[in-house]
Amino acid sequence: MRDLLKECLSEESGFVELRFHHKESRSFFAERGRVESTALRKRTGVGVRVLESGTWGFASTSEVTKASIQNAIQIAKKAARLSSALRKDKIPNLPKANFAIGDFIGKGIEDFRGRSVEEKLKMVLDIQNEASKQSTKLQSVGCGYSEIYEEKAIVTTDGANSFFSLVRPEFRVSAVAKEDGKLESGSHSIGVTGGWDCLFRSQSASQISEEACKTAVDLLTSELPDGGLSTVILSPSIVGLLVHEAIGHTVEADFVLSGSVAQGKIGHRVGSDLVTLCDSGSSEFYEGAGGTIPVDDEGVIPTNTVIIKNGILTSYLHNRETAERFGVAPTGSARAWEYGDVPLIRMRNTFLLPGNSSFDEMIANTKDGYYLDGAKNGQADATGEFMFAVQKAYRIQNGKITHLLKGVTVSGLAFDVLQNVDMVSKEFKWDLGSGHCGKGQPAKVDAGGPYVRTKVLLGGK
Amino acid sequence: MDRGEIEKRLNNQKDLLTNLISKAKSNGIEQVEIYSSYGYSEDVSLEKNDLNNCTATEENMFGIRVLHAGNQGFIISNHIPSLYASIEEAYQLAKSQTTPDLDLILPDARQITNHFDTYDTSLDSMGIEDLVSYAKEALGWRNDLYEKVNIDSGDFSLSKGYKLLVSSKGVMAHELGAELSASVMGMGVDGDLVGSFDYDSASGFYRDQFQTLWKKAFFNFGDKCMGALYAKPTSGFQGKVLLPPDAVYSFFLGLFIGSLNGTSLRKGKSKMTGKMGEKVASSLLSIWDDPTNKELMGSTGFDREGMPTSFKNVLNDGVLESYFYNTYEAKKAGLNISNGCATGGAQSLPGCGPKQLQIKPGTSSKDEFFKLPGKTLFVNRISGSKDGASGDFSGVVKGGYLLEAGEKIPVREVQIVGNAFDALNQIEAIAKEGELLGESSFVPYMLLDGFTITGVTET
Repeated sequence: MRDLLKECLSEESGFVELRFHHKESRSFFAERGRVESTALRKRTGVGVRVLESGTWGFASTSEVTKASIQNAIQIAKKAARLSSALRKDKIPNLPKANFAIGDFIGKGIEDFRGRSVEEKLKMVLDIQNEASKQSTKLQSVGCGYSEIYEEKAIVTTDGANSFFSLVRPEFRVSAVAKEDGKLESGSHSIGVTGGWDCLFRSQSASQISEEACKTAVDLLTSELPDGGLSTVILSPSIVGLLVHEAIGHTVEADFVLSGSVAQGKIGHRVGSDLVTLCDSGSSEFYEGAGGTIPVDDEGVIPTNTVIIKNGILTSYLHNRETAERFGVAPTGSARAWEYGDVPLIRMRNTFLLPGNSSFDEMIANTKDGYYLDGAKNGQADATGEFMFAVQKAYRIQNGKITHLLKGVTVSGLAFDVLQNVDMVSKEFKWDLGSGHCGKGQPAKVDAGGPYVRTKVLLGGK
Repeated sequence: MDRGEIEKRLNNQKDLLTNLISKAKSNGIEQVEIYSSYGYSEDVSLEKNDLNNCTATEENMFGIRVLHAGNQGFIISNHIPSLYASIEEAYQLAKSQTTPDLDLILPDARQITNHFDTYDTSLDSMGIEDLVSYAKEALGWRNDLYEKVNIDSGDFSLSKGYKLLVSSKGVMAHELGAELSASVMGMGVDGDLVGSFDYDSASGFYRDQFQTLWKKAFFNFGDKCMGALYAKPTSGFQGKVLLPPDAVYSFFLGLFIGSLNGTSLRKGKSKMTGKMGEKVASSLLSIWDDPTNKELMGSTGFDREGMPTSFKNVLNDGVLESYFYNTYEAKKAGLNISNGCATGGAQSLPGCGPKQLQIKPGTSSKDEFFKLPGKTLFVNRISGSKDGASGDFSGVVKGGYLLEAGEKIPVREVQIVGNAFDALNQIEAIAKEGELLGESSFVPYMLLDGFTITGVTET
């Protein structure tokens, strides 16, 4: 594929970027004793981006032939020329980058190819049937397995020339329990970049299912916590949501240029000394993080970007254009969801470095607060105000976890929450590898870290 | 790409898909459905108060559903040369399953009575140059009237295309469409002060309609961003909330509508199970689904399975009158046919849901809501989470105001917690004024009472 793309660029003189993308997404879902759906989604094409007259132009084609790709190049050039008169802030050129050259074949692909449809169907059906027997209060249990296999080739006129492939499996269970007309949900999911063995390395499919069902049943007897500013210990999944939503989005350089709360804060203190935050294309501490990429969608090798070091903001996340504007090197953070999407600055695997405390010590040291576990969803704002939803909130009283409360929305101002971090555990976990991050287009990301103690605003009664 | 070319492509594709289905039948694959979605679009995007990118995209996606002895296989592909191979692959997926349900069948063809053709040929004379001029105009509005509003992103789009559905049961349905649309997202910035994000959008079938709606939407966006810029924290209280149309639909009403989905009902995940004919909401609330109104953007003559759509009452003075069914869920519920409520497109299996909801306006004036005694929280938008089964929702209020003693004070760091099914009975008044969301669903302003509002400090 790289050869075809290079051939298409052989007569081009300005900047042209070609990105071939083939994606296959398989999903299997069982509920109520039967396979409810099996689906396979295949999408292939080439995205063409040009920089001409200081402006971007983009076109895409699902026909992977030389003639069609070259036609798309001409359409993209025309689009760039048409818009050049209006764009005020011209892009003079793109900085040199650490381009990926060659083929990068991901781990787990053989495993993914070696397992049959029947095996995957049997797994979701067996787990679903087994889960339904856990409690008579369970009204419905759904069990889903999915995997995304991708191949990409990225070739540019200024030196990028790479091919890579990877596979990302996910497994999820959602349960609904009923008692006295009250319905409650519980869910648990995992996702990795790698094979089946990597997916189930820390928890088996049965354990994931048991956890989801137990949450739904337990929540039937739970109540809302008291609302207000509270001391909280966040589990790694919640820490993942916090660093992704509250900090990660505000340091994406395109968002910084639009006026996010992180603008002008490089070199400033934004967190306590205990806070060191990174975003990486690799999978530090534990293999298989869901947002792992060998090459970004501009053909750049991703770095491990230290965003905050001991509480001081040190870097934003950049594509080639913003790196030029800030006079720094690209961080390899440009990502596109499909061939027809323009690459945007996106997080990859975002994590807080572990500290010195243990989880048990943190609980024992907390007189009055909450332990929050089970990430649901989250969003961040330009102001740095974020919200994320948790599944379960456990009351902590006098150094002990007491009863379960219904999970609610948690919010705060990103940098205030980091400034209030006063304990960080030595335990570490990736825990946001299933699902997607949204920013105009989806992206597979992961996030995680240690257990962290801080203060947030808890919504409640 | 003009209407003539799109029609030619559509006619060729009808023949192609019909032939593929015939070939499948002759090879023993009895139940095949192909949903084709073709789109050509030109887009101009904004970023950081400037033009960002111009794009042109064209794609044809196919959703291929094969049913075999009560099992289903589904393939989505954009590759026309291998469509027949995809049919065979979907057949293999169906055959590999061991849990058949004989209620899972493709529907027989039914006559489609509402025919929609929303392709106005005046759009054929437009192109990317026009989109660039709209972008220039919007940047001018921003510079002249809203210099403290930063446009984080925006998009102008001219899109054309068709949807086509063909099945081995004789279904053959298609609609052409073309529209202009635009959206903008950003926030107010004044020195170190940064306001909450806000968003607005507009779309139209033709140039004048689009321009009028887009100008209104952009100014609405600018006003909302400016309103949120000087927000302050406030203390919590128990009391009234005033919801504009967006917030009404996106939060509590959306959860309720989701609970009328035939699949949720069958699986025991809906609190509306067994409530047909019962009063489930305030008598002030009446809702109907009307995909037959030719003036609205979401109207269509057929659903995801090619079944005819129709007008239906959903909630009449608080009494539940309808659930939403596709063919499979209708059979599971003991009905002969669906009620034309299969949702989705080429990239999804048929779900269940409404096409174009309308909420009956009330008799109050929304201006009265802003002058109520005591404290009322105006909830512009909620950033949060919701649970379809329990109906619980909670979130942070964005772009909100505390309405007190005739004053409108912008607030931040405020959370609201509630339950969608309880909220249906907490409606105190509905305004006669509202908005057409997405130029499709009419939703009025609503005043609700009895909410828990969590804040951080005294004002």
